Amino acid sequence: MEFLSYFGGVFEPTAFLLLLGGTIGGLILGATPGLSPTMAVALLIPFTFHLSPTQGLILLGAAYTSTVAGGAVSAILLKIPGAPANIATALDGNAMAKNGEGARALHLSFLSSGIGGVIGVLLLIFLTPVLAQWALAFGPSHLFWMAILGVTVIGSLDSRSFVKGLLSGCIGLWLSMIGFDDNLGAQRFIFTDSLAGGINIIAALIGLFAIPQVLDMFSKGRNSSVIEAIEVPKQAFMESLREIMRSGRSLSIGTIFGSIIGLIPGVGGQIAGLVAYDQAKKFSPDKEKFGTGHPEGLIAAESANNAMVGPSLVPLLTLSIPGSPTAAVLLGGLIIHGIFPGSDLFDNHPQVAWTFINSMLIGQILMVIFGIYTASWAAHIARAPVPIMAAAVMVLALFGAYSVQQSMGDVYVMLSLGVGMFFLEKFGFSAAPLVLGLILGPIAESNFTTGSLIANAQDGPIIYFMTGTLNLFLIVLVVASIGYSFWSNMMHGKMAKAERATS
Amino acid sequence: MNRFIKTLAVGVTAAALSAGATFAADYPDRPIGVAVSYGAGGATDFQARIVTMVAGNEDVLGQPIYIVNKPGAGGRVGWNWFATEAEADGYTMSAYNIPHFIAQSIKGGVSYSADSFEPIANWGADPAVVVVGKDSQFNTINEMVDYAKENPGKVTLSGAGLFVGHHIAALQIEKATGAKFAYIPTKGGGAAAMKAVIAGDVLGGINNLSDAFRAQQAGNVKILGVADIERNTEFLPDVPTLKEAGYDVDNASVNFRGLMVKKGTPQAVIDKLAAKVPEMFAHARVAKRMKAGGSPMKIMSRTEVQAMWAKRQETLKELLAGL
Amino acid sequence: MTASRLQHTISSSVVFLIAAIVAYISFTQEPADAFLFPRLIAIFFVSLAAWNFVRAITGVAKVGAGLDMKEFKNIIPGLAVMLIFVFFAAKVIGFYLSSTIAFMLIFTLYDPAPLNNGKAWVKRLIVTVCFMTVMYCLFALLLKVQTPSGILF
Repeated sequence: MEFLSYFGGVFEPTAFLLLLGGTIGGLILGATPGLSPTMAVALLIPFTFHLSPTQGLILLGAAYTSTVAGGAVSAILLKIPGAPANIATALDGNAMAKNGEGARALHLSFLSSGIGGVIGVLLLIFLTPVLAQWALAFGPSHLFWMAILGVTVIGSLDSRSFVKGLLSGCIGLWLSMIGFDDNLGAQRFIFTDSLAGGINIIAALIGLFAIPQVLDMFSKGRNSSVIEAIEVPKQAFMESLREIMRSGRSLSIGTIFGSIIGLIPGVGGQIAGLVAYDQAKKFSPDKEKFGTGHPEGLIAAESANNAMVGPSLVPLLTLSIPGSPTAAVLLGGLIIHGIFPGSDLFDNHPQVAWTFINSMLIGQILMVIFGIYTASWAAHIARAPVPIMAAAVMVLALFGAYSVQQSMGDVYVMLSLGVGMFFLEKFGFSAAPLVLGLILGPIAESNFTTGSLIANAQDGPIIYFMTGTLNLFLIVLVVASIGYSFWSNMMHGKMAKAERATS
Repeated sequence: MNRFIKTLAVGVTAAALSAGATFAADYPDRPIGVAVSYGAGGATDFQARIVTMVAGNEDVLGQPIYIVNKPGAGGRVGWNWFATEAEADGYTMSAYNIPHFIAQSIKGGVSYSADSFEPIANWGADPAVVVVGKDSQFNTINEMVDYAKENPGKVTLSGAGLFVGHHIAALQIEKATGAKFAYIPTKGGGAAAMKAVIAGDVLGGINNLSDAFRAQQAGNVKILGVADIERNTEFLPDVPTLKEAGYDVDNASVNFRGLMVKKGTPQAVIDKLAAKVPEMFAHARVAKRMKAGGSPMKIMSRTEVQAMWAKRQETLKELLAGL
Repeated sequence: MTASRLQHTISSSVVFLIAAIVAYISFTQEPADAFLFPRLIAIFFVSLAAWNFVRAITGVAKVGAGLDMKEFKNIIPGLAVMLIFVFFAAKVIGFYLSSTIAFMLIFTLYDPAPLNNGKAWVKRLIVTVCFMTVMYCLFALLLKVQTPSGILF
């Protein structure tokens, strides 16, 4: 209960103002296409030079939590996911906004972010010593199997066709191999200079989700009927609250998967949302509603995203090992102030450590308040007339893709992937499994290579990758996941056949 | 003769860019970017952010410097981009890591070499150190080397990648001791390599002195030796150099960090930067932050860096020739 | 053969072709160590693409509505503006000016209001200027992104 005695620090006037500023600023930065939480936090580091360590960390902590949630805003309203974390949010959230339920989607997204986030931070507070050992347990062989486990959900993720889902995943895996290979430095599949740096994940996300949408708007043509604004029913906050209370299943799935995945260094929050979405779908009685604007998917994805924030800091704060890119930036922010995470942090600077953690707790609540407050206003964006929307998303996609690394190459890749995806989608392929392949490819490959090198120095790859409790447990999960996919695919086929026979 | 050609070349360039002279006088009239070839939060990234933080002051450059991260493949992605796509106008600089980019260019497969870039100044030097987990059976570097001699290829050493400072240090140790190690490059830089040591995925590792110092303070690792000519009196006065331990390893793997521009940048711009940037590095606020972060500083002027680059180029060519 | 089945056949053969190229490159390039993973992926990629192709030819592939010619005609002008804007104008004319022009063009092309309506033009202009001002404030002033300025702005 040590943390309770440091709550005072959060409510000092300067600290609280910074907390407010960090939260609001984080929401805006997070909602800006092309600006991932990692970049947003890195942008704020220079501001902390002028602050005391505690104040600096309050700013960074508040910004971290709210950028993750802010990414949901552009995912829902514009279908431009701000970061890989928000991909699953875009799937159902944007469909809801298009049905005129933008305010409801935003309310649910912020509420589930807040609930997941608070639970994540509480895990950080109470279970840190236990969790730190758990985070270290994942070596290269386990991370490899984790990535393979992620690959196995590709077939069932947001695709109506099993083959085409897998095929989309393969395209993603291939795209992830483009560029310099990380271990040997060999050049692979570099056809033009723009590809020399590989495919940047954020730029790819913008292209794959935003551009097909723009082209879809174009396809309606100069049709006056489409410009009619959809009637937006007023969304009362209490109603959203009641709805969230009823969604215990997706909330707990999201929170549990988010916290577990967030803890594993190197896999991080990138896939937490997608995995939680997929699991929520598997456990839901309304499987077929996913992807058409079903709140369950949105709630699972967003609660997972923010639940991962707290646990992802466990390895950083206890062992000084950054478990995610954003944690790496936070580490830099700490070191600049001469504070080294690890036992030193909690023993010698407890006021810094606990004020930081507490500020994330308060930050979650502030984020929900501000998010809800602006939701009904922000939801109007999704109702903008189609031609304005198309033009705006196009320009935003260009600026977003460019600002990731200030490189025109990324912009070209963004548009090419986007146009390609538009045509692929017309034939039943989908972007979500493709992106999952793009994210998991490098994780699987690098851990396989590192693991093989270690294995060669020890007892050989078979013993290294196939023995040990954690390896065997993960392998069982992989097999079960593949089996489930095939089984449900077959059942689906049978049902479709039966339907055709009766009709 | 050489000098004449050089003067001529400069003259022609200046004439070709008729605005060249006024351009240099106004330089810089907008913010300057620094491309860092490693991810945000890594040692090179946060040190670059610290040493450039006072650039906007009127008496320094008068324009702020912003950082753009272009990580990938041990730095190859960023430097390749810099060598092929960046503009040689002084508004895009890059942070260099020696021996990384020189070693990579000697190994080939990249579009740059030491001749593609013009150094401006050096800000830091971070020696490589040998670390083991806190419960490791090894307490001195000699114990580790003797074990490796008895069990060739069984001692796994993690490092930040292939042909970066850590790898060079591992190669030098192998050459000096005659023992065979298994060098494991990890994706994700020094932090991932350190994680592998702390978690026990590998028996030991090569890492940056600054990161290892922090991990040692936190009680997670033991530091067995420093791959430098002298002991580091500021942070690790008790850790012997590899030379003291009886192995002929010099400072070729020390990670020098600094700023450079692309070849073809107007000479006047280079001169202005070469004069101002070392002052910026030496700023009291920069020094205070760098010390707080446990990052050893070493400020070197443009001419000193040029000499250092040339020397590294020779040493590395020799070392990597057999591979 | 229906139009949709023909389209599915064409699309799946394009995907198969890509898979074949990926496989060819993966298995011919050196060093083999660096191409180990691409080779594994290529095997799956080619087999799945072949399966998908068979399904398309036999008419089993039903998912995906295919391209509607009328819709496709609607897309062409917008797509052309987009391609010229991104691949050419943004770098040559400058980010902000070309974005303004592209925004205005797209808005005009897909706005149902007639072209000879003065009020509609005023509205288009105001919306464009407002949007670009927000973009400038956000990216140039707040985030300090250095965009290519081209010959103009």
